[in-house]
Amino acid sequence: MMASMISFILAHQGDAADPELLRWIKIQLDHIFGSGPWAVVAVMGIVILAIPVFITVVYLMQAKRRAAVAPMNQEAQEQERVR
Amino acid sequence: MTTTEKTKKPIYYGWYVCAATLFIGFVAIGARNSFGVFVVPMSDEFGWNRFTISAAAALGVLINGLSQPFFGQIFDRTGGRKMILISIVVLGSATAMLALTFHILFLAFMFGIVVSMAQSGPAPSNTAALMARWFKRRRATAISINSSALSMGGMIMVPFSMFLLQATNWRVAWLALGIIVLSSLPMAYFFLRERPADKGLYPDGDPAPPVDASGVKRRETLGPLEVDTWKQSFKTAPIWQMAGSYFVCGTTTFVMSVHFIPFAIEDRGVSGATAATIFGYMMFLNIFGALGAGILSDKLGGTKNLLAFAYAMRGVGYLVLLTVDSVLGLWIFASIAGFSWVATPVLTSSLTADVYGTKALGTISGITFMFHQFGGFGSVLLAGLLFDITGSYTLPFAIVGALLLPAAISAFSIKERKYSSRYQTRVPTPAAGD
Repeated sequence: MMASMISFILAHQGDAADPELLRWIKIQLDHIFGSGPWAVVAVMGIVILAIPVFITVVYLMQAKRRAAVAPMNQEAQEQERVR
Repeated sequence: MTTTEKTKKPIYYGWYVCAATLFIGFVAIGARNSFGVFVVPMSDEFGWNRFTISAAAALGVLINGLSQPFFGQIFDRTGGRKMILISIVVLGSATAMLALTFHILFLAFMFGIVVSMAQSGPAPSNTAALMARWFKRRRATAISINSSALSMGGMIMVPFSMFLLQATNWRVAWLALGIIVLSSLPMAYFFLRERPADKGLYPDGDPAPPVDASGVKRRETLGPLEVDTWKQSFKTAPIWQMAGSYFVCGTTTFVMSVHFIPFAIEDRGVSGATAATIFGYMMFLNIFGALGAGILSDKLGGTKNLLAFAYAMRGVGYLVLLTVDSVLGLWIFASIAGFSWVATPVLTSSLTADVYGTKALGTISGITFMFHQFGGFGSVLLAGLLFDITGSYTLPFAIVGALLLPAAISAFSIKERKYSSRYQTRVPTPAAGD
């Protein structure tokens, strides 16, 4: 019984994955990418690293907008203080 | 056209904090999810049986659950940023050090204690508390995006680990996972901030609170049960109503995580591949369930009604699972349960923040999460025991499924309109006092 506690996906709680499910996922991915593991590692590695890169790029692209809004915010705060 | 009209509003900074916590949760939870991938190769190399390696993982579940309230308290006292940064360093380093495993005690210490404790730092209970500081009107939506890291971690990081293991070996794979966890450090460092005021902003990116004619500035609305310490919250009814239903949430999800596939194979006679397909489909629906619950809660209000509905629907799913003796029953259960799986944590976190405020939210969420873990741990043991006695999962599933009715009633009976800050009128305070 104790052994069964490990062999599952706890997507709800964040624990280890079920070996049966892992086998199934692997078969599905093999169908898509072929059986070369490095191809899948490369594709998934790029997907994982793309997330922070994307967020950083969006943040940098918004720099002008933030800079334009900042003086207006200061102005509004100044007016509020005067009031 | 004025300058104001020409200038487009930038994305509210809170969304960057949300995106950063999503990525941190994604890699942290994904690395932990991946433990199952390493069971066979590590057991083979060291000659461990399943029980031995399972004990290390079970210790991890227990330590993770027990450490949540303590990490929640650290979050409340020192702020989320520092704690999450330190946790990432420890988590990434300890994950990478699993590559050096030479004995089961090393694995038990490093994974069962160090990794599991460090994972409590960027755990959803803490990152949801951080989201609650940055968002008020769109709090549930932000928490739901943050919570979808749970599903994404399992869906992307686990297969990644699996193929990495196939391409290399388990030592290289652990090292790579540790490096990936550490790669979230720059994001955490640059984007995580404690609260909107640190960036000169207000929650949701809203403008400064208005000043009325008498010169009185209107401040943030507070609920009547807003607390400064977690102890105060446990003297009131809503926390017990939420913790009680959250206990049932853990009970009904953990038991399925462990026993659904064996049940589908042994009790319903489907193949392992079909059982895994149905389970994978259920996990996939998590994301939509979480996001849908968050958006609906923010748009429509009535969070406790949605929470009660999610529990009730899960109960219906259990009923179908036990009464429809075919593969169709499994699919219907997966469809219903999949949507409610992560919806309940999102709604519980959001409602807790709305009722008790954000000052002690990390600790309160950590304690309710501990209830959740205890419920799950007990249900897994109970189901295993009853299966051994009766030779079927019908009785344990019927018991835990039946608990969903009182859970739904408990959630529905929360006096949200009376206690939630969302339903309170603004409190005027002198501008000088702010």
